[in-house]
Amino acid sequence: MEYTKTDVLLKVKDVNLFYGTKQILRDINFEIKDIVRPGMKQGQVVSLIGRSGIGKTQLFRILAGLGKPSSGTVTISKDKPVKAGDMGVVFQNYYLFEWRTVYTSLELAAKKNPALKGKEKEAIYKYAEDFNLTEHLKRYPKELSGGQRQRASIIQQMLNGTDFLLLDEPFSGLDILVLDRVVELLLDVSLSDELKTLIIVSHDIGTSVAISDTVYVLGHEEGKPGATIKKEIDLCARDLAWKKNIRTEKAFIDTLQEIKAEL
Amino acid sequence: MKHIFRPFGRVDRTTLAIMIVGQIILALLFWHLTSNGLIPKPLQVGKALGALLFSRLLWDNIIISVLLTVKAMAIAVIITLFFSYLSVLPFFHTIARFLVKCRYLTLTGFIFIFTLLTQNGGQLKLSLLIFGIVPFFVTSFLAVIISTERQQYELCKTLGYTNWETLYEVVIVGKADQVFEIVRQNFAISWLMITLVEGYSMGEGGIGTLLIKYNKYNDLTNVISIQIVIFLLGLLFDYLLGTLKVWFLPYSKFESQPL
Repeated sequence: MEYTKTDVLLKVKDVNLFYGTKQILRDINFEIKDIVRPGMKQGQVVSLIGRSGIGKTQLFRILAGLGKPSSGTVTISKDKPVKAGDMGVVFQNYYLFEWRTVYTSLELAAKKNPALKGKEKEAIYKYAEDFNLTEHLKRYPKELSGGQRQRASIIQQMLNGTDFLLLDEPFSGLDILVLDRVVELLLDVSLSDELKTLIIVSHDIGTSVAISDTVYVLGHEEGKPGATIKKEIDLCARDLAWKKNIRTEKAFIDTLQEIKAEL
Repeated sequence: MKHIFRPFGRVDRTTLAIMIVGQIILALLFWHLTSNGLIPKPLQVGKALGALLFSRLLWDNIIISVLLTVKAMAIAVIITLFFSYLSVLPFFHTIARFLVKCRYLTLTGFIFIFTLLTQNGGQLKLSLLIFGIVPFFVTSFLAVIISTERQQYELCKTLGYTNWETLYEVVIVGKADQVFEIVRQNFAISWLMITLVEGYSMGEGGIGTLLIKYNKYNDLTNVISIQIVIFLLGLLFDYLLGTLKVWFLPYSKFESQPL
């Protein structure tokens, strides 16, 4: 499969995080590059995999600009330090404004996007149709199912117009049918724009690897404090990216074993 | 029926209605059997209540008390919201915390000061009532603000909101239902205080004044009748505020049912 990796879209450099004297994250370094595939708009899907309690959420907050590292930097768009609002964030419980209808919640997000000025309603209805949410626009979040909340939450962040979409444990607690739909949804999002970059923080190895082009494994190194990136796996190079029904391939199963061994 | 004595048992509407009527009958029966010559029996109170309800005296005094309470509540809510909303600013946080601690002050010690500061009995009662209510309002509302989930603020930040926009969305708009709930819950406090403050200046009348007058002459039959009226009015306001909340803020009906 023909592809090239060109510009650096996001760079995490020497990130360390301490809580008091306890080191949570150590020397986190990685880059996300723009993947270019001829004849198509191919976004990026990157997974950060690690065991529960290892510091994934802390790294997630740093990447989102919601938390500051003790040292190190996260930069986007040619060395601009990341700040809250630069990245769309879909929280684990698909957080929405509970006091607003889905439509008004989406409208608030759309109004923050200068590119949608005057076209907010049109954009909301287009996304709602694409994400099968049109009939729920007048409902309150408490009236939605988990899957509907997730879609509303993703649309809200997409309307905000940022290229990056950070998702915290998006597969957690979903039944198998909903899980398949979520996977399809995320792949659709990644194909919506060349620069669209999804960063998935998860402990669900199988699903994360199945939809990603790059995987970073977060874990502890023996005798050293804090979690760090133990392994980077380029799934494009292994010919495991952008394929449907990848889960049955031997190379995929071997990759899962390789990741498990690092956790 | 057997569910009414089962832990966490659920009962249907009919059973609930029968149960409540039964409990009221039992309470009245207990009252009837235990009351002696000094404590009036339910029938006597019922007759007095009937007479009161058809008298202009009661309704005139109820209107005076209700107007005073509503006025005091409205002003107290404005003061509470002003300091509570701004409590997210460090300068106002200390003032809001001070107001919370004012719960421990008693009204009695301030009557003379308030008398000097106000021009008539109406103003005195209003200011005393506001002074009594505000600390409880602020306490309740600050608890709501403090318990706001971090993700509510973070969602605003991820959408690119400024701190002032976040304050507006999360605290002012997002907590509007809580304001209703706090008013509803604290209405009982102000309704309790009304009978107290009306005793400090009886010239303007009010249901508290009426109660004090009947109490002075040991007219227990009418005292209990007025207590029943006060109780029923409290329930009515509780219901009205709960209904208004759902009417103005439809999403609040998805919250857990109030006790």
